[in-house]
Amino acid sequence: MSFLAQTTTTASGVTFPTLVFTALVWSALVFALVVLFLPEQTREQRARIKSLGTSGASVALFFAIWALESQIADVAVGTGGRPGGDLVEQHNWLVSFPITSTYHLDADGLGLALVTMVAVVFFCTALAAWRNDRHVKLLTVSLLTLETAALGVLVSYDWVLFLIFWTLPVVPVYLVIRAFGHGHRVRAGERYAAVILVSTALLTLAAALIAFQSGVHSFDMGGTTGLPPVSLKGSGDQVAFWLITGASLLVMAVVPLHGALLDLEEDSTGVLSVVFAAILPSLGAYALIHVAVGFFPTVGSHYSLLFAGLAVVTVVWAGLAALRADDLRRLIGHVGTVMMGVVLLGVAGHTTVSVTGIMFLLLARGLVVAVLMLLTSGIQERTRRVRISQLGGLAWQAPYLAAFWLAAALTAAGLPLLAGFSGDFLIFTGSFPAHRWATTVVLAGTLLTGGVLLRAAQRIFLGNSRDVFVRVRDVGPLEVTFLGVLLAVIVIVGVVPGHLAGLFQNGASYILFPGTS
Amino acid sequence: MAADPNGAAVFVTTLPTVLLLALAGVTALIGRVRPGLPASFHRWLSSIALVGAGAAAVITLDGLTHTRGLGLAAYAGAVVADRMGVFAVLLLCATGLVAVLTSGAASHRLGPRLPAFHALVLTATAGGTVIAVQWEMGMLVVGLGLLVISLVGLVALEKTAEAPGEVALRALAGGGVALALLLYGLAILYGATGSTDLAATAGLLVHAGPLEGLGLALTVLGLAYLVGAPPLHRWVLQVASASNGAVAGAVVSLAAAAGGIALVRVMVSGFSTSLRPWVVLAAVLGVAACLYPALLSLAAGGLRRLIGLGACLQGGLLLTALIAGGVGGDYKPAGGVTALLFALVIFVLSVQASFQAVARLDIDGIGTAFADVRGLSRRSPTTAVLLCLGLAGLAGLPPLAGFVARILIAESAVAAGYAWVGAASVVASVIYAIPAVRWMAAVLVEDDEQPAVVPEMPRLPALVGAACGVFGVAATVVAGPLLYAANQAATALR
Repeated sequence: MSFLAQTTTTASGVTFPTLVFTALVWSALVFALVVLFLPEQTREQRARIKSLGTSGASVALFFAIWALESQIADVAVGTGGRPGGDLVEQHNWLVSFPITSTYHLDADGLGLALVTMVAVVFFCTALAAWRNDRHVKLLTVSLLTLETAALGVLVSYDWVLFLIFWTLPVVPVYLVIRAFGHGHRVRAGERYAAVILVSTALLTLAAALIAFQSGVHSFDMGGTTGLPPVSLKGSGDQVAFWLITGASLLVMAVVPLHGALLDLEEDSTGVLSVVFAAILPSLGAYALIHVAVGFFPTVGSHYSLLFAGLAVVTVVWAGLAALRADDLRRLIGHVGTVMMGVVLLGVAGHTTVSVTGIMFLLLARGLVVAVLMLLTSGIQERTRRVRISQLGGLAWQAPYLAAFWLAAALTAAGLPLLAGFSGDFLIFTGSFPAHRWATTVVLAGTLLTGGVLLRAAQRIFLGNSRDVFVRVRDVGPLEVTFLGVLLAVIVIVGVVPGHLAGLFQNGASYILFPGTS
Repeated sequence: MAADPNGAAVFVTTLPTVLLLALAGVTALIGRVRPGLPASFHRWLSSIALVGAGAAAVITLDGLTHTRGLGLAAYAGAVVADRMGVFAVLLLCATGLVAVLTSGAASHRLGPRLPAFHALVLTATAGGTVIAVQWEMGMLVVGLGLLVISLVGLVALEKTAEAPGEVALRALAGGGVALALLLYGLAILYGATGSTDLAATAGLLVHAGPLEGLGLALTVLGLAYLVGAPPLHRWVLQVASASNGAVAGAVVSLAAAAGGIALVRVMVSGFSTSLRPWVVLAAVLGVAACLYPALLSLAAGGLRRLIGLGACLQGGLLLTALIAGGVGGDYKPAGGVTALLFALVIFVLSVQASFQAVARLDIDGIGTAFADVRGLSRRSPTTAVLLCLGLAGLAGLPPLAGFVARILIAESAVAAGYAWVGAASVVASVIYAIPAVRWMAAVLVEDDEQPAVVPEMPRLPALVGAACGVFGVAATVVAGPLLYAANQAATALR
């Protein structure tokens, strides 16, 4: 396929190759490479690096919005939310091997939902990173590399590319946890690096199995090869499905595989916890739904009960753990795990409605967890404390901080008109007919989690003002900016979910019923 | 192969080897007669020899167009010039060229023996080129002998420390054992078939009995020595631990390049993967060669040992690709040889980049223990980056091309019906990545209060070392053309 095979034609008849996804993925890394060669001795030099970091994240956000809106516009003609639309990019890469590989970028509804979330969260993270003055270059380069990795996973439609992006976070995650973490940071970093590497190993074997046994002799993940759905010989379907599912569940950090991520979140500080808690598990969820279920929808529906059981265990365990958590980051980690449990219920539901709900929920989850983690960093910065039992009465000094927390807690609880509601509602509606008991328990768990967050808000912000916190300041202009951006997206998605609904529905039907138009 | 009544094939197939040996002799002679000549003279003379040999190989490509790509045979088929040979000679010459251009990093240890170093690099490369074009047992042994003796000589050249001399003796003993195993194996196969022609031997061994199986097994073991696969892997660790970084890089990378080529030439091109005894043994050996060094690396206390173990792991990966050298379960090529040749280029450069970083540490007086390299990025940023690129290349971390190579190897193993070997290679890569990332973090992140080091590495070796490291990243982008070249070479074997 030639480089100019995919083109867009402007109104004036000028044709350009479509490079939106390429720009989306690589822009952050280009800025990272520039930063790599800049000095960071003086305050001005550090400020320059931070500016470049923010610019890189902004450019990626620009292209994310472009891709999203372009696909929303195509919903009316039926292609929006399904791969193979106007923005697809496919060029020859490793074609001199019996199993060929192409540079293939594309996105479905699920991918676009997460692309939007990732771009928004990284943009806000880059803004939040302005407060850091240590290892500025390392932090900026790592964040931009992580953004490229996350976006690359979401738009890769070739196994080799997908695996490259999937494994790319190993080094930056390990480096930043070593540089900025506390407590058992080395152990936490190594455990999580092992998680990523093991998941890579499982996915590599699955890719090798699929590429060979499917008979297409290609690493392509959709499009020209007619995949998905994938049909393998013998028990190949089952083996490949469970290899991918195992890798995904490891990264999603659902119970009982949640220890490594929780440790990482607890031992990290500042903006890192945002990336670890909001972004990385979402990539696992994407792999589970887009790859495992999308490639093997029949096998996925066959194990629906197992996913429902896993959802119940995850929600109950993480919900109860959240109830007794005293460390703020651990609490938010548990909240994130509960939301991943709800995602598992959506997978178990295996309906267009429940999968559409997953897309809304993953979008909301990333934003909410990011807000909560950024608030936690703000609280820790002001009070030098991160234990709930040591906090109280902060609303007297920081009322806006309390308001942001409350809004995030209500989103996590699934309050209408906030982003979390659409996801929860659609997942529960879509899953209830098939898994009544599981849906009821998970619903109760979700409400419990919302209650836990509200109770935490009461313990942190309400009560008498404490002398020790009398000099605590409220959120400043910078914090209002990045928290405001996140909250604005939460509200917009909550108030006008219909803007995205068509896109997500198309994406869901593509995942569950691949091969049908 | 095309018949060659005019003797052109003799000229074409032997030209790189003759050129290298002739200039090796000239270099050694001038070094002996005029010891006062600057080191750069010998370096450029050797470089010209290597570039010339590479150019001669490229010219062969033109000759191959008249043979429909089949190749030119000389000496009754004992040597063959085909695309595989061209690829191999180019790889060996490039490896030798890196060794020669980075020799300045070892000049303080080699002293007046630097001309001998260059001469030995040329003879080792010449040995590799013989292996690359041979098609017959006698030529194989000649090539291997030349290579092993030259490599042992390279290690023994360092006389400023006791360890390299001892290591050279051990490597010589190991090489002797490997050559003996190979000779016994080939002797058994000759006895069983009555032919020294490797291709003909394969046809006569279709119904291989226990004796023939033993012959094949001994041959595999002998060749596995070069790529550092267990049980004859210790020499790699000893050379890595005792020799100067530049010397270790030259020795290990030349051995790996020649070893990989020898495995392809003898086992795939010669005996073919239809002979199950050697394939099963290579599979078991491949698993052991992947997992054993990977597990040892978890406890590696020194950088040199970690890199040495990484080099051994690469040997295991090459063996994994080797068993997928035939057709897959669907009767289509499994792509093992293509993956092996692609990986070989990446591995050689990763090994060179890693050892060049060690050479820089040697020159700057920084140790190679874990505590020594902590916070290296503050003291010596360029060395730190080069070291991290080398380690990431050995560990196969993305976006370096080693990652792509591993995927191709695993895929070819699965396609050939050896999913368990492919799985072992993936698991081993994961295990090795953990200590590699740990060391990289220590180098890049840890704070260090020691003063910055003024780099003393001469400019040329520094540039060449950096180029090796950068190539690891760039090769991912240009993986297509590189894979095309590897596939063209592999196709010549079918």
